[in-house]
Amino acid sequence: MNIKKKLLLPPFCFEITTNSHLVAENLQKIYQFSDWSSTKPADYQLSLQHANGIRRFLKPQAQFKADQQEPFQPMLATQAYAMLEWGMNWCIASHEMQFVVIHSAVLAKDNKAILFPAPPGSGKSTLTAYLAFQGWRLLSDEMALIIPHTRTVQPFVRPICLKNRSIELARSWFPNATFSSVATHTHKGDVVHLSPPADSWHAATLPAEIVAVVFPRYTAETELEIYQLNQAQSFMQLASNAFNYGVIGSEGFETLTSLIAQVPGFEVCYNNVAEVANFLEEELL
Amino acid sequence: MASHQLIVDLFIDPKRALTLDDDTWVPVILVLRHQQLLARFSYQFRGAGVFSRLSSYAQHHLRNAEIIADKQYRQIELEAAELTMLLSSINVTPVFLKGAAYALQPHLKPGAGRTFSDIDVLVPKKDIPYIEQQLALFGYLGEPISDYDQHYFRNWTHEIPPICHHGRGTVLDIHHNLVPLVSGRAPQIAAFEKHVIKTKSGYAVLDLPAITLHSLMHLFFNEVFKHAFRDLTDLHLLFTDFSEDDWTQIIKLSAETGFMFELMLAVRYCQKILGTRIPPWVCQQLEPIAPNAVRLWLLDFIFSYTLRPNHPLVSSKRQKIANFFAFVRGHYLKMPLPILFWHLMMKSFFAVRDAIFGKHHFNPKNSANR
Repeated sequence: MNIKKKLLLPPFCFEITTNSHLVAENLQKIYQFSDWSSTKPADYQLSLQHANGIRRFLKPQAQFKADQQEPFQPMLATQAYAMLEWGMNWCIASHEMQFVVIHSAVLAKDNKAILFPAPPGSGKSTLTAYLAFQGWRLLSDEMALIIPHTRTVQPFVRPICLKNRSIELARSWFPNATFSSVATHTHKGDVVHLSPPADSWHAATLPAEIVAVVFPRYTAETELEIYQLNQAQSFMQLASNAFNYGVIGSEGFETLTSLIAQVPGFEVCYNNVAEVANFLEEELL
Repeated sequence: MASHQLIVDLFIDPKRALTLDDDTWVPVILVLRHQQLLARFSYQFRGAGVFSRLSSYAQHHLRNAEIIADKQYRQIELEAAELTMLLSSINVTPVFLKGAAYALQPHLKPGAGRTFSDIDVLVPKKDIPYIEQQLALFGYLGEPISDYDQHYFRNWTHEIPPICHHGRGTVLDIHHNLVPLVSGRAPQIAAFEKHVIKTKSGYAVLDLPAITLHSLMHLFFNEVFKHAFRDLTDLHLLFTDFSEDDWTQIIKLSAETGFMFELMLAVRYCQKILGTRIPPWVCQQLEPIAPNAVRLWLLDFIFSYTLRPNHPLVSSKRQKIANFFAFVRGHYLKMPLPILFWHLMMKSFFAVRDAIFGKHHFNPKNSANR
């Protein structure tokens, strides 16, 4: 049976059709604070369907589509929910060109936002989860939407994508938080989506001003090392994490260079998220 | 609710866009995105001076598409420069075709807002092995395809399997003719070579009559009509800029290469569907080419549906039937019957196999994660 729902995730509105119970249940759980009855027109029409073929009795697959487009190979049916989350990211990264979109977490206190751009494996999501449950407001886990020619970042509140060992860590830290079911053996390993606290969801339309850019790097044997980056280093790292930088051209270049000229950039190597939180709160806010 | 006629009307009269509410824009945007026409329509709305009065929902999605199309428009110049330079060292001048050729000539109307997924070039057949070697040295490599497809390309078509730049992802389609050899209709390519001109920046392209003839051959001598409506709007925009001499030239070239019938079809359906203005003397000259009433009725049935916007939201049962007829007709045109039977048999074998084991199981691109 197909379920069709409209889900408002400011600033975008998704229409989601699925015949997967797993997907429907996870959506309901993770997005319990979201607006499911918006009258805004849907920006993206997504579907997550169990694939056909006799194969479904042997090794059931799920298929993601954005309208008629199928950007990914089908995945195992047990990975369907993670696939939908990645599909939403894909839609924004490949279509939205009026924000400068950076692969970055964004967290804020008192509307002062810090960008955490980082490649996978840097411990970004673990740090994000920790901060979000320690009084910071989550604006994004995966994509920072910067309004061109400003330091303003638009929230795009979504669950935090935790991988492998960080899953058990987060469960032990926040036993009462809302976790999705586990998608095992994906190309990123085992994956769970964690819904941020209610405050983050309630402030999902409230922009914040960027005050610093921090490139986190988890290194097991380092306690805490902080390097201030010069503007060229910050710029290069930021640009290499930008999704649509190559497409939007000079607008993206100008936004990032003027951002870097106005706010400091740091590389932070750590093995203890609490120490990073201390540094951020005492030095950057 | 949107219909394909609404999409056609928006192209003919962009001011109609002012009457649309957001509930209508949702399917219109989906259909246009699917047809790769969002950016073209956006520029049409700007041209008619209505863009800034559209709803913010419509403007948002149209503007996104413009930015993506503009990027491709800027990038094609760099791609063309690199390719021309790389091939000049083996004394080959690639002639840019279709989307790339429109974008390389700013005065051509179809260029703005036209997106394309690959760059098509025409080169001499004898040079192809050297071209493949030279481009491989600089990062253009073939993608994995099945043995059957490899055989299909190399022996029967007018191009080699696409090659892809491993860094930028640019896909190149290298042609040595404009229609498949197996069809028996492939023209003497020398006839087209006489129409090669250089753009202001020095890239080789076909002149207006020849680029238009190629565009309409591609549309009417084909079996896939996924982007047929976009291609029809290309033709409309090209015809709109024709001088009397361009008409004389296209008639001469299509007579010489054996594509008068396709020219007649292009003129007929541009007029019928988009109201394109064609000089009366051209229509008169093409009139004797039209087939008997029964065949014409069948062609009208096929093309009055297949050339319209295609999307599950606007496609009727009739359009699906027409698409099927067009698919069969396209194959029949391209392949002698014995080869056609063999080809369809192989394709249906693969289709049955995929239905049983799942669509992506045997995809050669996917062999790593089976």
